[in-house]
Amino acid sequence: MKILVTIKRVEDYESKIKVKPDGTWIVTDGVNYRANPFDEIAVEEALRLRDANMPSEVIAVSVGSELSVNEIRSALAMGADKGILVKQAGWVDSDAVARCLQKVIEREKPDLVLMGKQAVDVDDNVTGQLLAEYLGWGQATFASKHESLESAEEKAKKPGVKLAADKASVEVIREIDGGLETLSVKLPAIVTVDLRLNVPRYASLPNIMKAKKKPVEELDPKALGVDVTPKVKVLKVEPPPARAAGIKVPDVAALVQKLHSDAKVI
Amino acid sequence: MANPLFDDRTVDFVLHDLLDASSLCRLPHFAEHGRETFDLYLTSCRKLAREQLFPAYRPMDTDTPRLEGGQVRVHPAMRELWSRMVELGIINASTPMELGGQQLPALLSVMGNAYLMAGNLSAAGYAGLTTGAAHLIEEFGDERLKRDYMARMYAGDWAGTMALTEPQAGSSLADVRTRATPTAEGHYLISGNKVFISGGDQDITENVVHLALARIDGAPAGTKGVSLFCVPKRRLINGTLIDNDCASAGVFHKLGWRGLPSIALNFGERGDCHGYLVGEAGRGLAHMFVMMNGARLMVGATATATASAAFHESLDYARTRPQGRPLAVRDPLTPQVPIIEHADVRRMLLRQKAIIEGSLALCAQAAKWADEAAHETDPEAKKRAQLLLDLITPATKTFPAEKGFESCALALQIFGGYGYTSEYPAESYLRDQKLNTLHEGTTGIQGMDLLGRKVMGDGGAGLQILSAEIAQAIEAARAAGDAQAPLSSLATQLEQAVADLGATTMELAQRGISGDRLGMMRHSTDYLEMFSLIAISWLWLRMATRATQSIAATPARGPFLRGKLKTAQYWFATDLPRTASIGALIRSGEESFDSARGEELE
Ligand SMILES: Cc1cc2nc3c(=O)[nH]c(=O)nc-3n(C[C@H](O)[C@H](O)[C@H](O)COP(=O)(O)OP(=O)(O)OC[C@H]3O[C@@H](n4cnc5c(N)ncnc54)[C@H](O)[C@@H]3O)c2cc1C
Repeated sequence: MKILVTIKRVEDYESKIKVKPDGTWIVTDGVNYRANPFDEIAVEEALRLRDANMPSEVIAVSVGSELSVNEIRSALAMGADKGILVKQAGWVDSDAVARCLQKVIEREKPDLVLMGKQAVDVDDNVTGQLLAEYLGWGQATFASKHESLESAEEKAKKPGVKLAADKASVEVIREIDGGLETLSVKLPAIVTVDLRLNVPRYASLPNIMKAKKKPVEELDPKALGVDVTPKVKVLKVEPPPARAAGIKVPDVAALVQKLHSDAKVI
Repeated sequence: MANPLFDDRTVDFVLHDLLDASSLCRLPHFAEHGRETFDLYLTSCRKLAREQLFPAYRPMDTDTPRLEGGQVRVHPAMRELWSRMVELGIINASTPMELGGQQLPALLSVMGNAYLMAGNLSAAGYAGLTTGAAHLIEEFGDERLKRDYMARMYAGDWAGTMALTEPQAGSSLADVRTRATPTAEGHYLISGNKVFISGGDQDITENVVHLALARIDGAPAGTKGVSLFCVPKRRLINGTLIDNDCASAGVFHKLGWRGLPSIALNFGERGDCHGYLVGEAGRGLAHMFVMMNGARLMVGATATATASAAFHESLDYARTRPQGRPLAVRDPLTPQVPIIEHADVRRMLLRQKAIIEGSLALCAQAAKWADEAAHETDPEAKKRAQLLLDLITPATKTFPAEKGFESCALALQIFGGYGYTSEYPAESYLRDQKLNTLHEGTTGIQGMDLLGRKVMGDGGAGLQILSAEIAQAIEAARAAGDAQAPLSSLATQLEQAVADLGATTMELAQRGISGDRLGMMRHSTDYLEMFSLIAISWLWLRMATRATQSIAATPARGPFLRGKLKTAQYWFATDLPRTASIGALIRSGEESFDSARGEELE
């Protein structure tokens, strides 16, 4: 089985993010970067599926500047087999990313594409859905599982996304408002993953050393025939409103009153 | 806020701005490495420390190991943590590739370990002991011991210990009494009692391998009669494990490091404890000494880590605890301010920072010298690095331990009365920290090692090289200029202190030459303190110089770099000046305490 997994370079949520004074974007100077945590879960799931269904291969793909090679390397150090960087400096909107990925997928012909359900930088939550549409493939979003992250299954690194016996579909348990639902998706398909699917492994030192020797191919969006001019215009970036100070209420009656009249939640 | 254990930017600053860690990769031994492998490894250590080790720290401190039916049972969380540490590859990170390791520079394995120690020093302790014990077999053991024992220890299947101490032989290991009786089959029969053996038994791994000091029957008294043995809890005979008559006689109730059992161990109660000679007979202590720099460096790193974890707890508390009002505010109706608004609390924070970051830089510098001493290709550079490492080791072990204790006390102080309760972790870090001035050679022993062996022993050669290094840093500081901080006056201040140390050393040497060895050594612990203060000031001057050079190029790092400058200035104002009075004390030969006897001490 060939699995393609995406990995995006994003601002580290531990960094203090400030908006530029002119409101065009954030101040990137002094900000740390890391792999999108949702994508790390996708990489982990890909590795588990691979190991449970050998022979298989995991390809880690990133669309971004040359620095994104760091995040590809971190996926390789977790255990992915090879990397592809679609190199494009500057901001690329979700639609352009989906179209770049479409071209890479047409070339690589994976059986399954695993992606984070969203990236923690802009939280769009659309790339997987757009990609499925462009490819005309089935999709299952927000993959999760029944077992807890403390369970024996999780400790044994069992995949939560399950390949059917005939290898023609995968079973995906997904988070929905009311709880969990189970879908069966024909392959090839796009699966986007949610936070409770697994706990990603740490890159071990032996795997870090092996990763150095794994190939990372660079592709140019133009050569792929993709125009990456953003369709989304950023009008203005502003920080979320500062949280107002809390208040103390004397008793439960006062709390209910406040929730009703001020917060208007009950 | 979750405890970050260390400030990542500071660790990166020390590694890359101060020490140019990647430059080690010019050496053939490290050619497979680079900034990328360093960063990925540190990232994994950080995650493991924060996400797995740290959450188990308090439970392991509270629910301590027990001896049940002859078997020590440790906290159940340890099994999982052990597997995670093994998986990550920390036990054999720096081991040669042909032995399954990754030849990671000690500089990086020490820094990675510092995170693990800060997260949970007991958990990391099991791994560190195993690496140390396996390394002894690697250096001195025969092929069978390497295959049967070392390989399994590096693989994390079995754990290791250092079994040196006996009731009558603590600081004075030449007094070891455990007996080793040769047998016709080639092994020795071991019998004797060891105390304080950390990790001496546990139920995490199926076997524990002790690297033990013992005396072969008929060996001469003193150092030359002590040999090193591999004494497993279970011996491997034709592929099966057989009980090897190592009895756990009791678990010590300890002040700190409570997740790691330190036990009394009886070898050969039934006369069936096999031991295998490691290296040459009669060279047990010499073999141990080869490992000593590394072991003492790890103590320094652990002390730094413990202080750092405590510091971050106190920083978080200082930002969130409202108490009192600024001096200028008299109106009791205004809200209280977080205590970090009070100058004295900021003093306590900055002082911790000065101690911790100075210690971190010291440990890192020592580790880099260790890498160069082991793997430089140029024999001159190799020798030089070895001299510097030997010289700096007593300070690398002692400064972080002694000042780290002060630092942990300051962290606790910031919590006020709450710090004295077990509601907050400040008290446990203070308890943990105390061990570091005791094991691997007490502070007193380190003082004598520095003055007697390291400084006087080689006729001051090492000290001369270090002085030249310091002179270079002084030049660089002057060249960097005073645009950000008064670097040139800091440089002059350090120059005077180094001259003072030189004069003090000369005077002590004179005393030694004239036959007054007691007079030479009387103030060896004070000498160690003076030396350490100068070494730390040297590192702070270099950090301030790098900060000055970087501020213009990376303005976004401004607040971070200014923090380094402020801390350096603080240190030069408060602690470097103390070297003058300590120097005067040493030179005076003040001997009230030495001549005090009998009732005078009551
Ligand atoms: C928690 C813990 C874990 C330990 N783990 C291990 C372990 O894993 N393996 C192991 O082998 N040992 C271990 N030890 C033992 C440790 O290394 C010894 O405790 C240490 O070496 C000091 O020996 P001692 O306790 O006998 O003290 P002593 O040697 O009796 O020292 C008592 C005091 O006298 C001073 N002193 C002693 N001799 C001199 C001298 N010649 N000149 C001046 N002053 C002197 C010392 O500085 C000290 O202040 C551990 C100890 C503890 C507490």
